[in-house]
Amino acid sequence: MPLGGVIFITIFVAIFGVVILFAASLFGTRKYDSVKFESYECGIPVQEKKDTKISVKFYLTAILFILFDIEIIFMYPWATTFRDFIKSGEGGYVFISMLVFLAIFIFGLFWEVKSKALEWE
Amino acid sequence: MTADVFLFWFLAIVTLAGGLTTIMITNPIYSALSLAFTMVGVSALFVTLNAYFLAGVQLIVYAGAVTVLFVMVLMMFDLKHEVTAFTRGKISGMVKSGIVAVLAGILVGSISLTTDIFSKSGAAPEAVIGGDTTKELGKVLFSKYIFGFEALGILLLMVAIGAVALARSKGGTHAKQ
Amino acid sequence: MGHDIFEITINAIKLIVCFLIIVQAVPVLVWAERRGSAFIQNRLGPNRIGPLGLLQLAADAVKFFFKEEFAPANAVKFLYYAAPIFALIPATVAFAAIPLGAPVQWNEHIFRLQGYEINVGIVFILAVSSLAPYSILMAGWGSGNKYALMGALRASAQVISYELALGLSIVGMIMTYGTFNLSEMIQAQQAPLSYSLLGFTLPLNFLPAWGIFYQPLGAILFFAASFAESNRLPFDLAEGEAELVAGFHVEYGGFKMLLFFIGEYGHMIVASALMVLFYFGGYVIPGIPMETLNQWALEHAPDANFASLLAGLITLVCFLVKVVVFLWIFIQVRWTLPRFRYDQLMDLGWKTMLPWALFNTILTATLIYVAHL
Repeated sequence: MPLGGVIFITIFVAIFGVVILFAASLFGTRKYDSVKFESYECGIPVQEKKDTKISVKFYLTAILFILFDIEIIFMYPWATTFRDFIKSGEGGYVFISMLVFLAIFIFGLFWEVKSKALEWE
Repeated sequence: MTADVFLFWFLAIVTLAGGLTTIMITNPIYSALSLAFTMVGVSALFVTLNAYFLAGVQLIVYAGAVTVLFVMVLMMFDLKHEVTAFTRGKISGMVKSGIVAVLAGILVGSISLTTDIFSKSGAAPEAVIGGDTTKELGKVLFSKYIFGFEALGILLLMVAIGAVALARSKGGTHAKQ
Repeated sequence: MGHDIFEITINAIKLIVCFLIIVQAVPVLVWAERRGSAFIQNRLGPNRIGPLGLLQLAADAVKFFFKEEFAPANAVKFLYYAAPIFALIPATVAFAAIPLGAPVQWNEHIFRLQGYEINVGIVFILAVSSLAPYSILMAGWGSGNKYALMGALRASAQVISYELALGLSIVGMIMTYGTFNLSEMIQAQQAPLSYSLLGFTLPLNFLPAWGIFYQPLGAILFFAASFAESNRLPFDLAEGEAELVAGFHVEYGGFKMLLFFIGEYGHMIVASALMVLFYFGGYVIPGIPMETLNQWALEHAPDANFASLLAGLITLVCFLVKVVVFLWIFIQVRWTLPRFRYDQLMDLGWKTMLPWALFNTILTATLIYVAHL
């Protein structure tokens, strides 16, 4: 069963990573001072993380990604069965219904571009 | 105990642990990450049911897209200092548990009303075991449920328009102070 | 019971070998990248230690072991240490699902030269790769550094944007083969090429029926998107050092950094292997069908078992050679193209590649339906 293999390799890689990080931490010199533990921000006094303002574009990109991703996922079963449908004579019906779906997809994409939701100035 | 049964119990326990961590832990980032872990566990449970395509969709859409959005948004807003108000309190905890129980009851009830999954004595139908369910899924999707499929496209379009409108409603394209 | 334990052991060994292939490929690739970049820029590159500087890898590994171990005071310790470990997992799990050679038959056992055979191979690999942003986000948040967080958000937004183009560019290919199964795809690409349009047949017998000849646009889009997926130049915005120092791994050093490196190169290897599988015939030697190869192996090996093993090894070498070609293209492109600006990157992903991938899908569907391609 492939699932057992997937779980096995995941756990194996995780253990490998833990072991190698632990082994690497055993060697090497340790000379610590307070400056070394500061965040590396080019020598300027460190700012708190919450002062950072981040563009809402990242959120918008992520949510549009989810929507288009779902639409693309729905094309996969269509893509595998398309030839079977053509063989059984229902090809035209499935072809048209997918074109309608794709037209909605294209309209959505076109609208996003038009509304400048995808502009990163 | 056969390997399949062991695998099921292992995955079920791991998934439930992930789900419990999601609602018990106070740090929102860890909560979102354990939600992602739960999604991966649910996808593995789909694999044990031979629903390979569904497992892939579960991973791509829920673990790879929706929860990534959660994690990204939580990282944008530093919520580290607002963890206590939402997860403490005896009365509110009881109310929450009650709501969860009602929701679970509605869910189980509706499933048992619409399907005969509880009346059958366990054994899955022959077609499901060991077969490739993806092509069957495609065939059902494009014959029986074609209207729902097209309606889904329109729903997703509306959500996209709504999301853009929300993100732009305050004027400008950047988060205000 | 003894049979079961034998099978489980074989599978475990295969999986570990898959992982070791990725880990061992990294120093070789780093060496090739350094020598190759030196060659492109008219320099010598590392050439002091060992022949052609090959022992530089060993020296680097030893050096990494003796690096100081520390975590910045601001860091969230658990995420900071978990992120590099998690960076390894998606690439390894995806790589193990790729068939590396023809199955070997030894008496009654059949050994597939892959970690595990999965019926919906493409969906599995896409699904596992879609988990890659977590490692980046965990590293960015866990470092407790503003630049790291910015780099992580940029990198994950980039990865998910190009995942759309990546997912859509292979829809046409899936339509052509009508399957998700990677082994069946290789089977479909063995025959000699012949186009059939509207009942006419145009045989091109000197070429194999590789995916690239049916899906040229899809192949280009897939390859470009996989550059972005593996955060390579010209898409390595995450580490734009002028603005972000080094992106999400700015606070990492020593072996923790190396694990991120293995993850990145692992993505490169998976992308190249998928490119070979989808569009360049997989492990089959161009011009020589599997039957001819099996026949040849039977004549040159003592018995059927060794013949099968010989054929498997030859196809494995052939597959690796094809993968190496694409890895070299990755390196060549890195030293040829300059880095994009972030808005150009997003424009390319959303406004250029996504529409072209849609066009490719519609064109393929039309050709298959109308012209019976």
